[in-house]
Amino acid sequence: MGWRFWQPSLPREVDEELAFHLDMRVRDLIAAGLSPADARREAGRRFGDLGAVAAECRTEGARRNRRMGRMEWLRELRQDAAYGLRSLRRNPGFTAVALATLALGLGGTTAIFSAVNAVVLRPLAIPRVDRVMLASEFSDGHHGSVSVGNFVDWQRANVTRPMFQGLGSINWRSETLTGDEPERILAAEVTAEYFRIMDVRPLVGRVFSEEEDRPGAPAVVVLSHRLWQRRLGGDSALVGRTILLSGRPHAVVGIMPATFDFRADSEELWVPAAFTPAQRAQHDEHYLTVYGRLRDGVTPAAAEAMLVEAHRELTRLYPNANGNGTVRLQPMMEQFVGDARQQLFLVFGAVALVLLIACANVANLLLSRGAARSREFAIRASIGAGRGRIVRQLLAESGVLAVLATALGAGLAWAVIRALTGAAPAGVPRLDQTRLDLAALGFAAALAVGSTLLFGLAPALRAARADLQSTLRTGQARGAGGRRDFLRQALIAGEVALALMLLVGATLLVRTAIHVQRVDPGFEPRGLVTARLTLPAERYAVPEAARGTFESVLANLAASPGVRGAALTTQVPMGPGGGDNGLIPEGKPLESSSAVGSALRIVTPGYVRTMGMVLQRGRDFGPDDRAGMPRVMLMNETLARALFPGQDPIGKRVACCEGGPNDPKWKTIVGVVEDTRSRGLDRDPVREFFLPMTQAPDVAWNWIGRTMSLVARTEGDPLALAPALREAVRRVDPALPLYRLGTMEGTVSTALAPARFRTALLSSLAGVGLLLSLVGIYGVVSYLVTRRRGEIGVRMALGATPRHVMRLVVGQGLAPVLIGTAIGTLGAFAATRLLASWLRGVSPTDPLTFAAVVVVLVGTAAVASLVPARRATKVDALEAIRTE
Amino acid sequence: MPGPETDLLQGTLDVLILKTLSWGSRHGYAIGKWLENTSDETIRIEEGSLYPALYRMERKGWIEAAWGMSELGRRAKFYELTATGRARLRAEVAAWRRLSGAVGRILEARV
Repeated sequence: MGWRFWQPSLPREVDEELAFHLDMRVRDLIAAGLSPADARREAGRRFGDLGAVAAECRTEGARRNRRMGRMEWLRELRQDAAYGLRSLRRNPGFTAVALATLALGLGGTTAIFSAVNAVVLRPLAIPRVDRVMLASEFSDGHHGSVSVGNFVDWQRANVTRPMFQGLGSINWRSETLTGDEPERILAAEVTAEYFRIMDVRPLVGRVFSEEEDRPGAPAVVVLSHRLWQRRLGGDSALVGRTILLSGRPHAVVGIMPATFDFRADSEELWVPAAFTPAQRAQHDEHYLTVYGRLRDGVTPAAAEAMLVEAHRELTRLYPNANGNGTVRLQPMMEQFVGDARQQLFLVFGAVALVLLIACANVANLLLSRGAARSREFAIRASIGAGRGRIVRQLLAESGVLAVLATALGAGLAWAVIRALTGAAPAGVPRLDQTRLDLAALGFAAALAVGSTLLFGLAPALRAARADLQSTLRTGQARGAGGRRDFLRQALIAGEVALALMLLVGATLLVRTAIHVQRVDPGFEPRGLVTARLTLPAERYAVPEAARGTFESVLANLAASPGVRGAALTTQVPMGPGGGDNGLIPEGKPLESSSAVGSALRIVTPGYVRTMGMVLQRGRDFGPDDRAGMPRVMLMNETLARALFPGQDPIGKRVACCEGGPNDPKWKTIVGVVEDTRSRGLDRDPVREFFLPMTQAPDVAWNWIGRTMSLVARTEGDPLALAPALREAVRRVDPALPLYRLGTMEGTVSTALAPARFRTALLSSLAGVGLLLSLVGIYGVVSYLVTRRRGEIGVRMALGATPRHVMRLVVGQGLAPVLIGTAIGTLGAFAATRLLASWLRGVSPTDPLTFAAVVVVLVGTAAVASLVPARRATKVDALEAIRTE
Repeated sequence: MPGPETDLLQGTLDVLILKTLSWGSRHGYAIGKWLENTSDETIRIEEGSLYPALYRMERKGWIEAAWGMSELGRRAKFYELTATGRARLRAEVAAWRRLSGAVGRILEARV
């Protein structure tokens, strides 16, 4: 069969095949005795409709050819992929660097984007969450909580002018879940409307009815998915049974789905608020968080206007309770994400810079590799490989690289997310819910594939176009060298600029961290142990009982061996608890517009000394500052400056917390303490004042939920005092739970966790960025040395010393580095302003930081180019010229 | 020409062609003639209908075609079974055996 490879076009194929059949039939019929004419007629009759058959064959044939084409294409793709893999395996160094670079950039970006998505972009699992608004009382530039009285009146106003489908309130408090092992958990009191506003159906059972949200109704509870799984065994049959909260049985009516656990530390159960008539008339105690769902077609502005008007009426009716406040609406999502937004966008920006550096690096690698192989391409072209084929092979190689890098990057992203969710600071909502984001991976992969293909293709196209003869003769594609070198150096300059911005940002954060370590907290955390103690409202309803119990516990504790000092406070620095009150100095009109807001701490005598705070002027509370004696207070410097600028505050009188215009219950300032960093070492001090526990107004016991912190100082390990703390409480009332027991040093450290987290993250990203840039610089200088071997050889033959050669090569490597440094400095100058709110003790444009980073960057770049430059000096002049 | 002509179903023609090719490669004319002779002319097909079937089976990847030289020295298109085609034939034969056995038992059953 000689014509094995003969392949006619489809119409010819069909015609020739059918003609062959007819001719054979005619031949056989003639052999059987028919005349040629009869035989032809008979053959045609037996065959049928020749035209129709031919047409059908051509249609089928066309379909057959298309299929064969596809299979051929697939086969070639497989071949190309195999070729790509082989050629990558032949260059393990190149492959490893390119893969690692791409995978790092890809995996990092994907992981961080996934986190940004989980925290910021992904909406809460609330239907049409954009319609849910947080309504807060607003005064002196601060969003504040809402009093029950105001909330009730807002609801009434919404009936007259309906803007919201409903307004619901939530208020958090801790609760003791009684059982084999009593546990303090975060609970929320909500109104029946709350769940309707959130519009989330319970997983099992139901939410509260209006009837259950009234005082005197049977006690019911809705459980969170987390508590149900974690503590109660995840059994649906739990609905209808009762659980004990602070010893009181509550009927479980429903269980919310897991998506309703908005964050890892959100509330674990809900009980009806069931406001009493007394509470509903109370406009003075602001502690509710109020949400409303806008009716269809109502704008937030219109709804806010309605509430503002309603509130103006309230301000007129209750001037002391509401002062000059008004109402502000804010989307729930915005309030929820809050601070974390800026932080994550910063991190995302940093990661994107690293990805760009990675892509530039791989682009450079591919360019160098393409240039080094121009001879190979020329040879392949000369032995008949079509330009398309060469391009395809190169694309396949880039494609294989990109696919492998994507797979590696996805694995890396997965690992980073696991690490991230494990190490996440508790303050970032939903970070623990981060999942690998496929869209982000897709985007990063597209960027990686795109840049790999683009820069893999550029040398291929050039090689395919290159003058074959000259390429083969000189061994290098000389003609295109200039432009390609420019591109290469521009890429390096870009990388250096990006790396410099990252490094400056990271260095500023690190310097902040160092500064914060040295910040004087205003007290001595070493040797302090603290714990929270709550008295159940049922048994300690009378303020005297609560006060007496706390005093007994403190007396026991102070008498324990090893205790050098002990005190009680409503809130230790950086710890839970606390609240704000307005203070009016004597002489100012007794109305809320003259009030200065300040944090209140209710403490026992000796708190200042136990904490190691510094009494700047005056005296501490003493045993004589009791109920019935003249009322006294302490305040910190910041508050003293705000209330009495330029005057000595000792002896001055202040109204606050209780009483009214007719009976201001003046409190005399007996001492001023130095400021403490009560909100964190990286935060500025706030205004604080202190009241002795024995003189605290009765209503304050409700404000603080009958909860105080025990503080004890010892020499040596503070945790050694833990048994003493427990014993001090047990001897007074064994049923009281002591919780959040820990050292003050631990509290301080926890407060710094978010800052540590972002510093570590940005530093590692900057490190990766620097490393990638150095690899890039090294690669380019190596390439330049290879390409200029001949020239270097000639120079050396003409008497250039190794020093000359080194200077030449390093200089050429450093030129783009210096340009990149200049650009990066300008970029960092603009970008570090975004960091300003996180910086302490260092300005965003700190010259020392900038100078240090530039020196480090240029220095390491010089080292990276020195290595190949040394190789250049080893060039054997004769050898180099001969190969030229 | 009147006679016991059987109206061949498309699928049946495909199986017969596969069977014909199972002994080696043949061109279209030879396939037609072999079918005619082997079935003692019981099965008569319109010769033209063979070719669309061949193209279709080629598209499905059951058979492969190559141009070669006929016994008489003319250029002809030869068909050959592929591995897919061979598997297809085995499956069809087995199915046919099952079907004809069952039909036979029914037709020969005594009431």
